[in-house]
Amino acid sequence: MEPVAILLATAAALLSVIATYLAIEAKDLLVATVFSAVQSTAYALMYYILMAPDIVLVYVPVSVGLLPAVTILLIKKTERYER
Amino acid sequence: MSDYFSLMFTVVLLSLVVNIGIALYGIFIKPSLVKKFIALTIFSDSINSFAIALGFRRVTGSYPGVAVLSDVPRGVEELRHFSTASVDPLPQALVLTAIVIGLAVYMFLTGLIMLYYRHYGTTRVDAARGGSRE
Amino acid sequence: MKARELLIAISIALMVLLLAYVIELGGLGPLAPYALRDIARAYLEYVYNPWNVTASSMALEAVTAIVWDYRGLDTYFETSVLFVAIVGVATLYRGYRELRGLGGVGLSEIVKTSTRVLIPLILVAGASIAIHGHLTPGGGFQGGSFMAVLMVLLVVVFSLDYAFEKGLTSSRLLAIRSAGLVGILLTSVALLIAGVVAGAGAYVFQNMAREGSDLSMPSWFLDRPLGGTLFLFNVFESLAVVSGLTLTFIVLALRKEEVDQALATGEWCE
Repeated sequence: MEPVAILLATAAALLSVIATYLAIEAKDLLVATVFSAVQSTAYALMYYILMAPDIVLVYVPVSVGLLPAVTILLIKKTERYER
Repeated sequence: MSDYFSLMFTVVLLSLVVNIGIALYGIFIKPSLVKKFIALTIFSDSINSFAIALGFRRVTGSYPGVAVLSDVPRGVEELRHFSTASVDPLPQALVLTAIVIGLAVYMFLTGLIMLYYRHYGTTRVDAARGGSRE
Repeated sequence: MKARELLIAISIALMVLLLAYVIELGGLGPLAPYALRDIARAYLEYVYNPWNVTASSMALEAVTAIVWDYRGLDTYFETSVLFVAIVGVATLYRGYRELRGLGGVGLSEIVKTSTRVLIPLILVAGASIAIHGHLTPGGGFQGGSFMAVLMVLLVVVFSLDYAFEKGLTSSRLLAIRSAGLVGILLTSVALLIAGVVAGAGAYVFQNMAREGSDLSMPSWFLDRPLGGTLFLFNVFESLAVVSGLTLTFIVLALRKEEVDQALATGEWCE
């Protein structure tokens, strides 16, 4: 079980690196928000494998649910494309 | 087996460090305040993940368990066994509050950026200095 | 300004490389070690320990016990920071009015119907996470954020007008938020007040009986451990978090007509 679990954690960490890069480089801020949510999902999987269920329970609603909602609200009230 | 695990765990930690670097790059270089905001959330999440990873440990013979007793213990030996097979709960407790407090502070930042846009008509950070830097 | 950006990029790359080198060398100690730190072992062995009650919090969950018992004062001030951030958002937009009938219709009927199915599910899940915080993974912060997702879903799917009609006004939410904070304050000094009345020794943030004080919160409810103050703290904290985050989201989502006058006549905005 240990090798499979750590392999999954590594895959999640590498996915988060790709998502972070795409989020920082995207010109469309909505796309950046979605990639930031992908990065949060990868982190949530990583926390689960690192045996932190409390953090998963607080991190999923906050960083996958509320934070993208707030960011999309911000984009709607300001501007969508980075200039 | 042991080498494989340490190698993979190091890869996880190094990815977190790379994430911290990319997010810092976004905070410093990108002119848009919204992009800076997104980069800031990624930065703090990576730091929190680092704390969680430091609380992880290994147990000989099995995978470590969560820091929750599954039933009322019947003797001191059961508690002793629980403490030898569980991860460190202290970093989790510290990160737990940090995430929720962080969300409230980000919401405050969101309000500030909205007011900035109302005032200057753009989210470029150099608008406050009276025009573009280039 | 290209040289400046290049300089920043190079310094960040250098920082990443050096940090990676430190981790690789083991500068942070052995990572994922076999040994458990002493303080972690103490927390784990005393979290539910009826044979040594004066060092125990009598709850099954170590993280909640650390958050609300062993480091309760810490968490109390963190909750205050949460409160101050929320009051800060309301102050930025002070003087806003909540107008009804601005023509918000929300999303389509399909989304509304599926959201109506989801509402009780999320509510029950959040409430059970908060109430069982001392037995299973979870607690006040987790349950509160779960229910805050539900409230945000309500505002987004059914529009702000609907939320105001259903009574989600900001004054009411602020009242619930303050009630949660007062509840946390009262819970933290409950045993102290009882001790003063009874003439016995007691401490602030006391949960079970400690050295020099025999007073104790109930540690058992029917057939399950209760964890004394942990249960009350979790319930009050979930109330505080859900109402606070919802209030902030509603203030941020206010329409142009509702904030224009307040922002135009503000004394700091000429």
